[in-house]
Amino acid sequence: MPREPIAHFQIERLGILDARGEVDTELLPPLSDSQFLQLYELLQLTRLADERALSLQREGRLGTFPSSLGQEAAQVGSGFALARQDWVFPSFREIGVFLCLGYPLSTYLRYWMGDERGLLAPPELNIFPINIAVGTHLLHAAGAALGARYRKDPVVAVAYLGDGGTSKGDFHEALNMAGIYRLPLVAVCQNNQWAISVARNKQTAAATLAQKAIGYGIQGIQVDGNDVLAVYQATSEALERARGGGGPTFIECETYRMSDHTTADDARRYRDPAEVETWRDKDPLLRMQRFLERRGLWHEAEQRELEETQRRRLDAAVAEAEAMEPPQVEEMFRYTCHQLSSRQQQQLQECRDGSP
Amino acid sequence: MEFEFRLPDLGEGIAEAEIRNWLVEEGEQIAEHQPVVEVETDKALVELPAPKGGRILKHHHLEGAVVAVGDSLLTIDTENGNQERPPSYGIVGELPEAEEAAPPNKQTKTPTAPEPAGEVHALPSVRALAKELHVNLDKITGSGPERSITAEDVRAAADAAPKEPGEPKQSEEPEEPVPAAQERLPQQGIRRVIARKLLQSQQLTAFVTTMDEFDVTRLCNLKLREEPQLAERDLHLTFLPFFIKATQHALLEFPRFNARLDEQSNELIMQPDCHMGIAVDTDDGLMVPVLRDIATKSVIRLAEELQRLSEHARQRSIAREDLQGSTFTLTNFGSYGGHFATPIINYPNVAILGCGRIRERPWVVAGELAIRQILPLSLTFDHRVSDGAEASRFLSHIGRYLEDPGLLFIESV
Amino acid sequence: MAVLNLVQAINQALQQALAADDRVLVFGEDVAADGGVFRATEGLLEQFGAERVFDTPLAESGIVGLAVGLAAYGLRPVAEIQFLGFTYSAIDQIYTHAARIRARSRGRYSCPLVVRTPYGGGIKAPELHEESSEALFCHMPGLKVVIPSTPSNAKGLLLAAIADPDPVIYLEPTRLYRLLKEEVPEEPYLTPLGQARIAQSGDQLTIIAWGSMLERTLKAAGDYPAEVIDLQTLSPFDRETVLASVRKTGRVLIVHEAPKTGGFGAELAATIAEEAIMALKAPILRVTGYDVVLPLPLLEEDNLPSAKRIAAAIEKLLRY
Repeated sequence: MPREPIAHFQIERLGILDARGEVDTELLPPLSDSQFLQLYELLQLTRLADERALSLQREGRLGTFPSSLGQEAAQVGSGFALARQDWVFPSFREIGVFLCLGYPLSTYLRYWMGDERGLLAPPELNIFPINIAVGTHLLHAAGAALGARYRKDPVVAVAYLGDGGTSKGDFHEALNMAGIYRLPLVAVCQNNQWAISVARNKQTAAATLAQKAIGYGIQGIQVDGNDVLAVYQATSEALERARGGGGPTFIECETYRMSDHTTADDARRYRDPAEVETWRDKDPLLRMQRFLERRGLWHEAEQRELEETQRRRLDAAVAEAEAMEPPQVEEMFRYTCHQLSSRQQQQLQECRDGSP
Repeated sequence: MEFEFRLPDLGEGIAEAEIRNWLVEEGEQIAEHQPVVEVETDKALVELPAPKGGRILKHHHLEGAVVAVGDSLLTIDTENGNQERPPSYGIVGELPEAEEAAPPNKQTKTPTAPEPAGEVHALPSVRALAKELHVNLDKITGSGPERSITAEDVRAAADAAPKEPGEPKQSEEPEEPVPAAQERLPQQGIRRVIARKLLQSQQLTAFVTTMDEFDVTRLCNLKLREEPQLAERDLHLTFLPFFIKATQHALLEFPRFNARLDEQSNELIMQPDCHMGIAVDTDDGLMVPVLRDIATKSVIRLAEELQRLSEHARQRSIAREDLQGSTFTLTNFGSYGGHFATPIINYPNVAILGCGRIRERPWVVAGELAIRQILPLSLTFDHRVSDGAEASRFLSHIGRYLEDPGLLFIESV
Repeated sequence: MAVLNLVQAINQALQQALAADDRVLVFGEDVAADGGVFRATEGLLEQFGAERVFDTPLAESGIVGLAVGLAAYGLRPVAEIQFLGFTYSAIDQIYTHAARIRARSRGRYSCPLVVRTPYGGGIKAPELHEESSEALFCHMPGLKVVIPSTPSNAKGLLLAAIADPDPVIYLEPTRLYRLLKEEVPEEPYLTPLGQARIAQSGDQLTIIAWGSMLERTLKAAGDYPAEVIDLQTLSPFDRETVLASVRKTGRVLIVHEAPKTGGFGAELAATIAEEAIMALKAPILRVTGYDVVLPLPLLEEDNLPSAKRIAAAIEKLLRY
């Protein structure tokens, strides 16, 4: 018998807004001018907030911080598409998503100052706490998606991860289950080309990350991660599919980590500065600015005003975060479980007394 | 690298500003964004943050100077500043850094091997009992499993003559804690315990005795005067209640002598209350019953309690807990005779006062000879807790109350 | 009242939990059509349907992670891991997440899940099917660890575990699944977590055991004047009952099949030494599995505490 191919697959890449600010009008998402402006403002706010966080870290006012510089479009484009009731499962590099959803910035900063109260999401938002154990939260998203479907809630569970996360076992187990159970789940992968010092091509032999979806029998797509419109469009499509019972989608946003892995990393040790430079022209804010300019929606003077307003907003958020009372030792005990055991109560007292 | 911080354009057409206040010194290390100077314009007092971190090399103007926009305010050396990125390790968190290399390994004393005393096999509860009964576990052969020392072994050792391990004692002690009211002391073995305690005191304390004599004529007159009245109430008044009260008052000024030394932690534990042990000679040997809360009792009340005490002593019915808890001890050997002495501290007290016999003696009063009643006092104290000068002062303080009883009245609390 | 063995009691508890609360879901490998390899979930698929009782792919970390997400969403997942040895792939999800979600989110989310799994040795099975590593989970604040020892407490403890607002690891003594049979009340009932049970009263020594070793301990304790305490919950354990018994008897023996070093007996011994040392008349003894790699069937009985070893320890203690 001849050997014959029994299956064919293909992976699409979506781009709408290119580096020069020109759009493919056929693919342009149906957003109003005001929404385009909102997108841009969120991109700008993300950049300024990220910059401020780095600054605070250098001043000793914030702990280690992972910058999102260069990845604003991947975060804002996807965040903007989410519905209020959707459940979000972040990793640790999604400041733009938090801002999109209206998470109080002062609370967000508190987390990076080392305070768990930073993860106490407001009741109207369904944002799971920042996840440090890479990739493990995809399973939680799968569980929530299953729960939502069981309850017939019009909820999609959206999980964020990086290129490194696609190597983890839990990523595999989660997407596999998402496929079998046809879960209302969207996994947004910010492929910023680096997992600390390990380059993308050392993370997997697969040509794209998006094609990993094929193995799980689910939809996968690659988008230009610096193109906020493409990210928005791909996410919207995925959410609609999930909400309609069409199952999960894996979105690979191809972007670049312009900064170090965290403030305790020095990328100059392992990265060629020339490579970083090639991505400067692909800057997500720049192209959106050009797009808006051409539509007559953006002006230089307004830019300055926008930055000033946003900086003041940042100042207020920082002040609020720093004005918060420090946490009490009692909280260490209080949230460990629903009700303290007699031993825990005794230990709390010992902790307060400073006794052995 | 040197950086000139120039007066920035503060907006609104302002061309100059007056330097009101430097917020940083020359030579100071500053951070980026740190406010460095206050300047005043027509409109406002403004704080300016440094755009770069580093070391301030120079102020270019004095306070009060008027500076134009663009003029240099400060020179900052940015080489050592936060401009330079800190070393990055670990991806997360902050590692503490060693400041200096650790000194080379000091010669550590090798611990001397413990004396091969032979391990004492005893459970914690048994050890606690032994401590309470002042039993030395080293001297006991255990009758328990693995030759461990049992509670029974300890009690047997605390009593009378040494018994063979395992043989029942003659005066069996009840296992349960004895109810307070009707405790009777076993008659045997007391002298053994006393002897052990006396020796222990001299082994564990740095005892020194200081002595002095006091003219207690006034006290004697007072006593003579009050005796008949109290006798009508069947109360026999002796000098002892006065000695007790005077000592308690003196202890208020010299509380160290009322304390207890914790040898483990080398701390002197101050005792708020004065409980006076009174050395009493009985047929069975020396006992030290304790009168409690002296501060709350008058001389008369003390006299009553002492009277009761001597009755109990005669009947051999002093309760066990009445023999515990003293903070200071008094021995009134003078009632038998004797002048000065070197009484032994009732460990774990830190001092003991010995009162000798009051005798008529020729004495000098206001430059002339007179016959006076003289009381010799001997104070043995633990020199670890106090020095000789303080002890002498304490003794003198007791003495002055006894020389002039009226002082007790005006200094009483 | 029906007479049930331990696995039937567990089955009944699951059935009653599913019937009473539509938040309860039961899933794991082979739990649906096959009813579970030990039949613990028999009949549940037929009664409650595939939305509530379903099979998962072979992915233990996935099973527990899925449960974490479901629990955070507001449901009450009861996940089965086929054998305790397979939870090792899921330790990350258990310790990093299930145990910490409440603290991490400052109470905004919680994790009321149950991971139930057969544990313990003596069933002549291959490697990893006879683990007894309960001490690992006892060392994770935020988790509860519950171990039944009889059909009746198995039912009550499982229902209580499902109702508990915190994550519970529920370890089922495989060796006792079909070994013990007793009358079990028909109606649902809760056996409170964190409470120990006095399985036998006595005043000369206290024996503390749980799970599979309880049955063996009771046999060995026989006519001795021993008070046998069934811990039932290891984390948090019932300090009050244990200490009261120790103060009464003054002698303590702890029996567990897990290896000695770092086993849960060490925690009990330390607590007793810390809080009741003056009551002790004798050293605290432990009869446990040895500090060895768990052997295959031919040597497994040599590693487990035998009635003989337990009796010898009792004799030794009574000499004090």
